[in-house]
Amino acid sequence: MNVTSTNFERNFSPAATLCLLVTLLILTGCASTQTHKPTAEIDPDPLESANRVFYNINETLDRNFLKPVAQVYADHMPVFMRVGVTNFFANLSYANVILNSFLQGKVNDGMSDTMRFVLNSTLGIGGLVDVATDIGFVAHKEDFGQTLAKWGFARGAYLYIPIVQGPDSVRDVPDMATKQLLNPLTYITSIYLLPVTALNVINTRANLLDETNIRDEAALDPYAFTREAYLQQREFLIYDGQPPVEGYDTLFDEDVDGDSELIIE
Amino acid sequence: MKPTESHRYITRIWKTRLHGLLLATSLIIPLSGIAQDAGVNDPAHQVITGFHGQLLGVMREAKTLGYQGRYDKLHPLITSLFDTPTIAKVILSRYWKEINDQEKEEFIKLFNELSTATYASRFDGYNGETFVDLGSEELNKGRLLVKTELQQPGDDPVRMDYLMQQNKEGWRIISVIADGVNDLSLKRAEYAVIIREKGFAGLVEEIRKKIKENETGAD
Repeated sequence: MNVTSTNFERNFSPAATLCLLVTLLILTGCASTQTHKPTAEIDPDPLESANRVFYNINETLDRNFLKPVAQVYADHMPVFMRVGVTNFFANLSYANVILNSFLQGKVNDGMSDTMRFVLNSTLGIGGLVDVATDIGFVAHKEDFGQTLAKWGFARGAYLYIPIVQGPDSVRDVPDMATKQLLNPLTYITSIYLLPVTALNVINTRANLLDETNIRDEAALDPYAFTREAYLQQREFLIYDGQPPVEGYDTLFDEDVDGDSELIIE
Repeated sequence: MKPTESHRYITRIWKTRLHGLLLATSLIIPLSGIAQDAGVNDPAHQVITGFHGQLLGVMREAKTLGYQGRYDKLHPLITSLFDTPTIAKVILSRYWKEINDQEKEEFIKLFNELSTATYASRFDGYNGETFVDLGSEELNKGRLLVKTELQQPGDDPVRMDYLMQQNKEGWRIISVIADGVNDLSLKRAEYAVIIREKGFAGLVEEIRKKIKENETGAD
């Protein structure tokens, strides 16, 4: 989960992160050898029992510590300052977007993303002001998990990684390393890093208050809700908001009246 | 930035070029008079346009109506525009045939109440939101995907697509897809977990609890 991803940043040196990335890539490759069966046929969550334990740990920490702090922050921080903080951290992590636009062969997007980064880092006062969007260099959402998907890697198991990541999948794990390696904060040593990191975590969580409230409003089983929403959302992002529509209504063509061995207890 | 936990459900997707292109296309096509199979004036689109119009009306009056007022206005609308019997059957999937007709009836009614309660508690104010039509796509067996975008001043737009199917009364909504998250398949997976652990009676109880929560949690 992005919320606390920066905790991770503090604990790994660039070299260690690079080693981790290579290892993860190899693991992803192994995990992906069974590739492309239609998603409906395979259980997306073979590690559900462990994932649920981690989910509950994360939720307990969030409910008791992070969420209340984020709520206070959201209630008292002026909107323009929150926007500035959000822009600043989004800009710092934007190199990951640039790289992955190019890795996916989206050259125009990659050029536009580079311009965006340069403009916002300079005219936008170190990223505090998003001047690039108005000029026409809109933000894209790319990451290494999406790149691996484009390259044909299968998703692998759904994972819930508490504190540093949240919902994830085997294919999305290496992105934890690329975004780490490409974030300038990784290479800075300063006593100011701790408050800066805390600000990022709290601000990110505050930006998500609406979304978590919606989840709480709608979900009967928040764990399953989060998992399904995550997996579907990732597909949407991989296809840049235009996923193939063929699979949308296959649910309606299944024979629900057919024989079934499942019995309601 | 990677999408995060709850992000997936209604999250804010940055406007992509394709969005812009689609938007442009949806504006240009009616102007240039090229007849599309599924233009913005076909009956399915009219159902959605009507629904959005009513929804915006409720949002504008949200504060004076209060939760119950919004619920009362939305209930007949959702009952008539959503094909809840089909939705209920697909969501319960294999479990559908395990319950008797009375339970089916009750579940359809309860699910309809849950949908209304969710809308009534979520759309509790108006901040200049508008819906933009992004055209539509034909699916299997005459089904249609009507694409729209909810635009909100000062916030990222949310894609709201509607899966539609024609029954004898006309075009009806069978699922809402918000930024790629299909409400129907999400609920199906979620409910399967609950039925597995607590049985069908447990699911019914959880839904009742959720409706109550929306009621008490709202203004």
